[in-house]
Amino acid sequence: MKNNFALLAALFIAATPFVLHADDLDNARAQFKDREFDKSAVLFEKVSETSPSAGIFYELGRAYDGLGNNARAALSFQRSLLLDPRFAPARTALREAQTKLGIPQSKPRWQTKLAEFVPLDPVSLVATALFWFGAFFFLISIFSDHKKSRVLVSVASLVIAIGLLTSVWLSDPRVAHRDTAMILASGGATALASPAEQSEKIASLPEGSLITILSQRGRWFFAKLPSGANGWLLTDGVVPVIPNS
Amino acid sequence: MDTKMDSISVIRPSRRTGFFLAAACLFAASALAFAQEVTTQLSSQQTRVGQPVQMMVTVTGGRAELPQTLSVNGLQINLAGQRSSSSAQFGSGGFQATTSTTYIYLVVPQFEGEFMIPAFDVTVGGRAFQTKPMRLSVGTGSAGGQAPPPQSAPGQPQQPRSSSSSSTNARPYFAELILTKKKAYVGEVVPAELRFYFSSRMSGQLGDRPNFGGEGFTVQKFSNAARREQVIDGETFQVFSFQTSITPVKIGTLAIPVAKLDARLQVPGSAPQGIPDIFGNLGGMFSQSQDVAIETKPSSIEVLPLPKEGRPDDFSGAIGQFTMDVTASPKKTEPGEPVTLTANIAGKGNFESMAAPTLTADEDWRSYPPAEKITTADSIGFTGEKKFDFTLVARKDQTLTPGLTFSYFDPDASKFETIVQPPLPVDARAATASTAPGPLPSTPITTDAPATPPPAPTGTPDIAAMASGASSWLSILQRRDFWLANAALAIAWLAVATILNVRRFAASSAGARAARRRKAHQLLAELRATDPKLFDEKAVQYLCIRLETDPLSISPRLDALTLPDDVRSAIEKILHREAESKYATGTSTPPSSEIRAEALAALAKLEACREK
Repeated sequence: MKNNFALLAALFIAATPFVLHADDLDNARAQFKDREFDKSAVLFEKVSETSPSAGIFYELGRAYDGLGNNARAALSFQRSLLLDPRFAPARTALREAQTKLGIPQSKPRWQTKLAEFVPLDPVSLVATALFWFGAFFFLISIFSDHKKSRVLVSVASLVIAIGLLTSVWLSDPRVAHRDTAMILASGGATALASPAEQSEKIASLPEGSLITILSQRGRWFFAKLPSGANGWLLTDGVVPVIPNS
Repeated sequence: MDTKMDSISVIRPSRRTGFFLAAACLFAASALAFAQEVTTQLSSQQTRVGQPVQMMVTVTGGRAELPQTLSVNGLQINLAGQRSSSSAQFGSGGFQATTSTTYIYLVVPQFEGEFMIPAFDVTVGGRAFQTKPMRLSVGTGSAGGQAPPPQSAPGQPQQPRSSSSSSTNARPYFAELILTKKKAYVGEVVPAELRFYFSSRMSGQLGDRPNFGGEGFTVQKFSNAARREQVIDGETFQVFSFQTSITPVKIGTLAIPVAKLDARLQVPGSAPQGIPDIFGNLGGMFSQSQDVAIETKPSSIEVLPLPKEGRPDDFSGAIGQFTMDVTASPKKTEPGEPVTLTANIAGKGNFESMAAPTLTADEDWRSYPPAEKITTADSIGFTGEKKFDFTLVARKDQTLTPGLTFSYFDPDASKFETIVQPPLPVDARAATASTAPGPLPSTPITTDAPATPPPAPTGTPDIAAMASGASSWLSILQRRDFWLANAALAIAWLAVATILNVRRFAASSAGARAARRRKAHQLLAELRATDPKLFDEKAVQYLCIRLETDPLSISPRLDALTLPDDVRSAIEKILHREAESKYATGTSTPPSSEIRAEALAALAKLEACREK
């Protein structure tokens, strides 16, 4: 009897986060529906920290959009696309947010296009399975008769699998954007030639601009700018696209 | 003061003053005051109206205090500068050094007549001195040396004209304002040019920009000064011109006040009587520095209101002459992808205050305020082009972009014009159910659509539910469990590879040989401890395995081996005993320990023996 009670208690404790999460999500959606975008955004933020998903970030972005905070909205839509690059509504919403921010639309690279059409994680798993099929089949082939055709099949499997894994690695936005950050500082940020406030100004970056952080020195980031040039920016108001990265 | 007038005819005062100051410092330590003395002198006792002369007050033996200006009716007398000199001499009193300073007043006659410059007080080292009065005779000449020539009419040749036929010597510098129009509409940009003329006999420095502005109009930022030379009435002038434009903001007659430019000029003077000017060819040692403000003549412009008749509804303040070129890009879009409609408005006019063209037939498009960019073709932004980029997202599938209309007022034709751009062909696909971002809480800006309340933000959870993808910020390929699983598979692969390899080796002749060798070795080891009754039988088994043959073929196989005779003999004996025990009818005797030892030694040698 005692053991049964302990088991029930353990199950209850384990299920608590999911129950709270569901409550917060429902509340966030209700607040959004009531046009209480600020409260809705707070709740969606909370949910996104515990259960990140493309859908949650999309809804968070919509809440920020309702608040008129285009930069935060763009960040949320960007995060939504990192988790699901094929989620077209987030892509459209991101484009609109960037348009409002005055961020020019860049031509998508082949990796981005591939990610828009291919489910990356399932393909990774399939490619891994194909790789090991090829590896084991190769092993069996070289210890059996009719070697030639079997070895060809196994080598082809290995080559295809390695090709798929490489493409997935290069296309996965979570890999490509692991060092990417967005300018959220009100009024944008200024890139300087050296990590000193008096140094020469290289570029002014509007809110919502994406940069690639190359290194950090104290309260300065050394980053690759959208123009391709490198410059120094204050860390204040620069937020990594992948949280806690 | 950064615009320098380039003239080699004048020695720059700063160098000369610096030289004298350095010399003064050199002698200062040993300088002993001579008797204090004040003398005055005019560079010329005769001059003409507007032509300045210099009055030099030389003070010896100490620092002097002098008035900055002197008040004489008909003469403008201002302290223009000073220079110092030192001398040293040996006398009965030993070495003596003297420092003298010459204070230079510029005397500009205002009208003709005989003038007496009165005596005035000079304090030297606390001691008061009085100068001597001096006479100056002013004859007739050019009037108003600094007066600008009459203003040129728009479009007229840009030669300034003298206000009289007298020589330009009387006017070493002057300025003029050139407006391209005498009548303009409110809000119209009127290009203007400020010209400052300096006689080539002068050098000096000009201020950065003219000081120009007033009530009822705005002034565009000045261009950098353009410099050229121009001959006027036989005299060469350096002309510095600043381009700008004015925009009237008030209706009626608009007074354009004077424009001023500060300058520090080196004005050539003449040597005092009896003193030869040995640097005359280099501009003269008696030139002096003079701070002046050169002014244009006040002007006016008639400002008209824009007509109310024929004013288009979409007129938003553009005044000038313009053309519009419109492009759409891309021509074909993916669902939900925006089309950029670019309107290039080129021509001349008020680009800064020009508003965007108006979208027409855009009900089925979402549009946003366009991005603007001005590219000017001149330094004052009067001619150029303004680009408007409209971002449009189709609400429904579209084959035509919205149209554009742009209205402006042409001041030359005094009428409003409207440029109409028909829709451009495009293949724009609307966002499908899977790509639509849903109704946004904020209403997109549309130009013609009537104001509607913001749509209810519904459908977002449904759209969000369509999202799938990952719930981790790490790709599968970045996760530890993925690599652990792969490591386990790699170990399994290696295990399988090992097993298959071992099996293959075992199945091969080399593997069989190695197995036999192992078995032979094992049998030999067992033979040492075996029952003596079974010794010969086991020894033959060993020989069969070792020689890879059957008992009957052992002897021939031994021939293939290079064996010592004792070994061969011992093996033959084993074979014999084994055959005897197998085929003899009587009971055979087990080999003695000596025989077994001998046989074991022979078999050990055989074990080590190689085939021929």
